[in-house]
This record gives sequence, C-alpha cells and structure tokens, in this order.
Amino acid sequence: MIKSRIVLSIFLTFLVLFLTVVLLKTDISYGQIEAITYTIADTTGDWGYPSPYTHYCRGPGYVRMSFIFDTLVWKARSGFIPLLAKKWHYEKEENAYIFSLREGVSWHDGEKFTAKDVVFTFSYIKKHPTWMVDSSIVEEAVEINPYTVKIYLRKPYAPFLNNIACTLPILPQHIWQEVENPRGFQKDEALIGTGPYRLCDYNRVQGTYLYQAYPNYYLGKPEVERIKFIKVSEQIAPTALRRGEINASSVPPETVKDLKKEGFQTLTSSGSWNAKLMINHTKEPLSSKKFRQALAFAINREEIVKITQRGYATVGSTGLIPPSQEYWYNPNIEQYSYSPAKVKIILESLGYHKKKGYYWKNGKKLTLELLTSSQFVRVAELISQQLEKVGIAVSMRSLDSKSLDVRVGSWKFDLAVSGHGALSGDPFILNKVILGEGFISARYNKNELLNKLLINQLHQMDREKRKETIYKIQKIYAQELPALTLYYPTWYWAHDGSLNLYYTRGGIAFGIPIPLNKLCFLGWRRAP
Amino acid sequence: MKRKVINYAVAFFILLVLNFILPRLMPGDPLSAIYGEEVLVQMTPELKARLIERFALNKALWEQFASYILSLAKGDLGYSYYQNAPVSKVIFSHLPWTLLLMGLATVFSSVVGIILGIESGWRRGKLTDKTALTGMMVLSGFPSFFLGIVLLLFFAVALGFLPLQGAKTAYGKLTGGWFILDIFKHLVLPLTALTLAEIPANYLLTRNTMIINVREPFILTARAKGLSDSKIRYRHAGRNSLLPVVTRIGIKLGIIVTGALFVEIIFSYPGVGNLIYTSLLMRDYPVLQGSLIMVTVFVLLINLGVDLIYKKLDPRT
Repeated sequence: MIKSRIVLSIFLTFLVLFLTVVLLKTDISYGQIEAITYTIADTTGDWGYPSPYTHYCRGPGYVRMSFIFDTLVWKARSGFIPLLAKKWHYEKEENAYIFSLREGVSWHDGEKFTAKDVVFTFSYIKKHPTWMVDSSIVEEAVEINPYTVKIYLRKPYAPFLNNIACTLPILPQHIWQEVENPRGFQKDEALIGTGPYRLCDYNRVQGTYLYQAYPNYYLGKPEVERIKFIKVSEQIAPTALRRGEINASSVPPETVKDLKKEGFQTLTSSGSWNAKLMINHTKEPLSSKKFRQALAFAINREEIVKITQRGYATVGSTGLIPPSQEYWYNPNIEQYSYSPAKVKIILESLGYHKKKGYYWKNGKKLTLELLTSSQFVRVAELISQQLEKVGIAVSMRSLDSKSLDVRVGSWKFDLAVSGHGALSGDPFILNKVILGEGFISARYNKNELLNKLLINQLHQMDREKRKETIYKIQKIYAQELPALTLYYPTWYWAHDGSLNLYYTRGGIAFGIPIPLNKLCFLGWRRAP
Repeated sequence: MKRKVINYAVAFFILLVLNFILPRLMPGDPLSAIYGEEVLVQMTPELKARLIERFALNKALWEQFASYILSLAKGDLGYSYYQNAPVSKVIFSHLPWTLLLMGLATVFSSVVGIILGIESGWRRGKLTDKTALTGMMVLSGFPSFFLGIVLLLFFAVALGFLPLQGAKTAYGKLTGGWFILDIFKHLVLPLTALTLAEIPANYLLTRNTMIINVREPFILTARAKGLSDSKIRYRHAGRNSLLPVVTRIGIKLGIIVTGALFVEIIFSYPGVGNLIYTSLLMRDYPVLQGSLIMVTVFVLLINLGVDLIYKKLDPRT
C-alpha cells in the first residue's frame, strides 16, 4: 500500500516536471516574424470590418479600410500626390474639378476601373452618407470620357481636395450598385477595392487583421507582403517590440527615451487633439471679452502641461490652430502668458475690488463653477488652484462625460474642461468648433468680422489668400477668447526601423494622426 | 419554493424597469443615451427617424416600455451602432473566453481552497495549519489585478516564458495539439492570477467551519464507529463544512461574466470584461446595457440554482 503510494507520487512528480519543461521550452511561433510580414500593435484591436461603410467611425477604422480602397488623391509625407487620379485641376468659371484617371487600374476581382466607378461613388454616398465625407457640397459628378471625371461643386470649396478627393474611397460600381443596405453588407465582395492590400482575415473578438499584398497593384506589388494588426496594450507594447513580436506600436511617453537608446525609431505628433476650457460667454461676467482675457492671464498653461501632462504636451495656442500646422499657424497673436498683475489691472478696471483674498463686485464674491469629467480632473484642479490664487473663487464639480457634454450643450455652466480632435487636418474645423452647433463648439457669433472671415475661408480657392484669412481668424479668436485651448497632448509611436513610417503632414485622408500611411508599405523606391 | 420563484421574478422585473428607465433619465436626448456617441458621429435624418420608430420614442412611456419588453422577449438586446452588429451577437462572441477563464478559475480556486481548508482545519494549531493560514492571509491582501500585473511582469516580461497578451497567437497557423497548447499558454497567467486571488476566501471559510465541525458530537460518533481518518475528515466533517463555501461560490458564479474585468484588461484577454471596458471608452451604451441585462439574468439564475443545491447539501433539510 505504502509502496504503491510512493511509486505513484514519484510518477506524478515526474509528470509535473516533464509537463513544465515541455511547456516552457516549446517556443511557438510568437517571437519570430517572417521578414515579409509587418506586425502592428493596437490597444483596442477591433475597429470593425474594413469596408467603407462598416469600419468603426474613428481614425483607426478608416486606416484599416484605406489599405484596401484607394482615393482619387492621397497625401504623402508632405503633400498631395496622385493616386487613382493622374492629375487634376480646378476650373474657376464652372466651379468644377477635373480629374484625369489612371488607366490600367483593375479592381481586386479583375474588373477594370473607369470613370463610371467614380461617378457612381459620388452618387452612392449622396444616397448613403458616410461619417468621413460630407458630400453636400458636391453638385454632381459627370463622366467626360472613360478616364476623365468632372465634379461640379455647389459653391467654391477650399477643403475639397483634402476632405473629399483625398478621403472618399472609390467603390466598384459593379458590386455596390446592387447594395441597398451598405452597413449590413459584410460579404467578401464588400472588400473589393483598388488598393495595395486585400484582407485575408478579420477577427472581431481577438481584434486582429491580416492583409495580403495585391500583386497587380498599379504602383507595383507592395514590398511588404503581409500586414498584421494584433491587440496589445500600449503599456506592454514596448516589451513586445523588444521581443520582436511586433514591428510598430504607439507607446507610452515615459518609455520613449529608453526605446530610443535601444535603437528603436520613435515618432512624435502633437496638435491633432486639444484640451479646451469652455467658457459660457452668454452669461455675466464671462460675456465680457475683457473678463475672459483676465481668465487667460490667470491660467498658467505651461504649468498645466508640466504638472498634469508631465511635460508630454504642447502649450495651447489661443488661436486654436496648433504650431504643428506650420502652414496655417499664426505665431503673432496674443498668447496671454501668465500674469497675475494683468489680471489685477483688468478686474479692477471692470469694477472688482479685492477683499480677504478674493475679488468682489456689488457686494458679491466673484465665484465661478468649473465642470470637469474624470478624464480632466487633474487639469481642472490645477485651474481651480490657479484661479483661487489670483482671487477668483472656484467651485469644482466632476460629472460623467455625458452629463458634462449635455450641460455644456445647453449652456448650463460657467467654465468646463473638455476637448476635441481633428485639428491636424484642413482648417475648416475652425468653422465647426467656433460657429458649429455641437457641445465641442464655442458657438460664438458675436463678432461680425470673425463670422465673415470664417465663412469666406471655406470658399477661398487661392491657398495663400486663404492663409491670410486663417491668420486673421486666429488673431480675432485670440482676442475674443470664446474658449481657451489649454494644451495639445503629444503622442508617440515606436518602430524597429524596418520600414520608414512617418506622420503624414495634415494627417491621413481628412486628417488622421496615425503614422500608418499605406505608402510606407509599398517600398521606398516605388512609392510616389 | 413557489415563493422563492416569485421573489426572483419580482427582482428580475425591477431590474428590467431600471434598465429601461435609466437611459431615459439621463440628461439630454434619450436617443444619444440609448445609442451612445455614434449618434453624434454618424446620425443622419433617416437613421434618426428609424431609431425613434424602433424605440417608440415619440410615443407614451408605457408604449415605449411595451416595445422594449417585446423586443427583449425576442432575445433582442439592442443594436450597437458603434460595432454595427446586434448586441447579443457581440456579447456572445466574447462570452466563451470569459467562461473558459472564469470557469476554470472558479473550479481550481474552489477545489484547492476547500481541500486546503479541510486539511488546515483538521490540523488546527499545528505548523502546517499556521503556515497555510499566514500564507493565505497575505495572499488575500492582493487583488487579482495586482497578482496579474506581478505575474505578467515576472513570467512574461522579465523571463519571457509566456506570451504577453491575448488569448491565442494571431495567425500562428497552429493546429491540433499545438493550438490547444497555445491557448493554454495564453491562459496560464490570467488564470493563475484569478485562481490565486480566489483561493484565500474559500480556504478561510472552509477552515473556520471545519474547526467548529470537528468538535461536534457526530465526529465523535464517527470515530467511535472506527472509521478511517480520511473518511471522517472528508465525508463527515468536510462535507458539512461546504455549505458557506457553496453559497460564496454561488454568489461569485453570478458575476462570473464580469468578474475577470481587470485581469482581462491587463492581459488584453478578449472576454466580456474587456468588451465592457472598450464599450465604456467608446461610449457604446447599447453593449453596456445588454451586458447589464445578461449579468442580471445570470446572477438571478445562479442564485436560484444555489438555493436548490443548498437543500441537497444541508443535512437538516
């Protein structure tokens, strides 16, 4: 009895040891990447089925779609380049763009790509609008000959190339003409495009994508044979990079220094997103321009960047357009650098006087309510401290982000910390966030000149003239201060250098700040 | 028995009402509360009209409630406009991974916790008992996510033995045994973290009851009958120490679906917890509400089940 027990326990011990050794020693394929496969990590993983209508309505979803579908025009490192269109020009008299299309382009199923597909796409998105393109400005698209298309606009529209020609994926007519419900269309045919890659697999649950190069791509077969997207959290990504499990990923700012030392390439982008102090300019005392300026002098944005963002951000420009938008950014505007002395002068000129450390007017203590969501609690706390320091009492309230948006949207607030993106694309965003309706907008139309300039900039087809207008807009915006941009967070990517990734100037398509431009995967020599 | 079932039905109804009323009580447009941020991103007039009709938002509250109950009865948990798929499909695609992870963790932690508890309680005051007790007290101080991070840093990041993230190697082209081994290798760390975190509670409960039971007269009777030590330990004292543990495991089973939330996030494990986390980030309210309903049903069903098992285990009934 005892003997058999001993034998059994010896056997079990060996079995456990054996299994442990087997388990630890067998190295399954992770850890090795074949030379032709490029693996990209993503924290979220799933961004939807990558057809133009079913990817999730966010930048990463668009990027996954852009590998399969080409647009008429595209952006390389620093400017527009021809893609499906060989060349294009604008005809002022007719207010139309004429695109000469590339010949010899085939869809992934072998059908020929012609002007009919382009015309079809423009009429299709009118019937089935997508999130990425607002096609209401397009009157109609007309086929001039099988390889020339003319697109008539309702009004001259300066952002046309960036927001439409460079963003709208062209659909194959022979497939989509039958499709009545594009959001429900998730068959293999929904992924037939003219782009450099085809999708081999998409796994919603695991959040993975596998792309295969399309050998007959009109710019030549892409050098990277396969692209793999896998789900890896940002915190773990640096380790996965070091172990060679992935080639590229976004990484936390704190890890960048070490990664650089170890020979990884890093990429930086700042200025596509901004944290913003929303100001209720419909209400006393914030309706006074001077008072808002005093607020700006009282808030130390450098300190906010240093403390709340640990320095990984750019100080906000009072003109909204970030310095990284080199072409549009106006460096000569009032930036209201921190100055308690100026706060004092302004507030006293407005009839406030200081008592027991706080400003008072007509027997009432100057008190403002500051709303925030959990995302910005630290920023809001610091702003409260800074305002209290100069003598403005603040009561801070933290809400869930939806309630915050609703309060801001219905003007039930004094000050609120919020934020929005889309600043790296075309400056048409100015209209959306100054005059627009939503809660991310300042909804400010009290300055006639500003209103006029904003509307004009959309229709100025001469880039230099438009730049002048954008400069003026920033200047007036900075004087009026209907909202105050606090900072633009900095985002980092790291990669092993096997490809030359870059942040596209002005963002991918309409302005997506992700360094995964499909041109990088085509191979250097052939990339246009 | 009948009364119990009625109690559960009432609880279920109250939860349904809550789930219905909460988005409508949220500030602002109920449509955006029901459909989340996608309303802002991709709302077109047609879509809006369709949604208003679907939820009967233009009708009286009771009519809205009726249409809500009706669609629930059909198994329709709503539609995620962010994911562009029915909520039930989204949740069920993530469910197997959570069940695998949490199911195994529950089994292991229960078995290990109970056996250790019985042995420790039996040997009360001896060195083995003291060591086990101290070890368990220390372990119980660590939440599962902390253990997860420690395990991840040590075994995956520092030593590189085990994979860092996920549930399987993406496009590893593995088949048969290698595929299962791959799944297992990905499972080891999150499973260990969850199991270790759960063992102490089961252990302490079993040990406590065991200590009381050992002094009971029926143990003396068993001894007098000349039964072997291990028989008394497990069949007599052990079995009777199970009651509180079973209750606890039952309660834990109820939240099995969401219980692994933090651990799943740490290991990017594609379970329901991770889904809930992503939905929260993307403000995908339909998925969040669907998960809530599902967890509710789970908790109620399992509690009912535990009530029934109790009868079998309790020698007094």
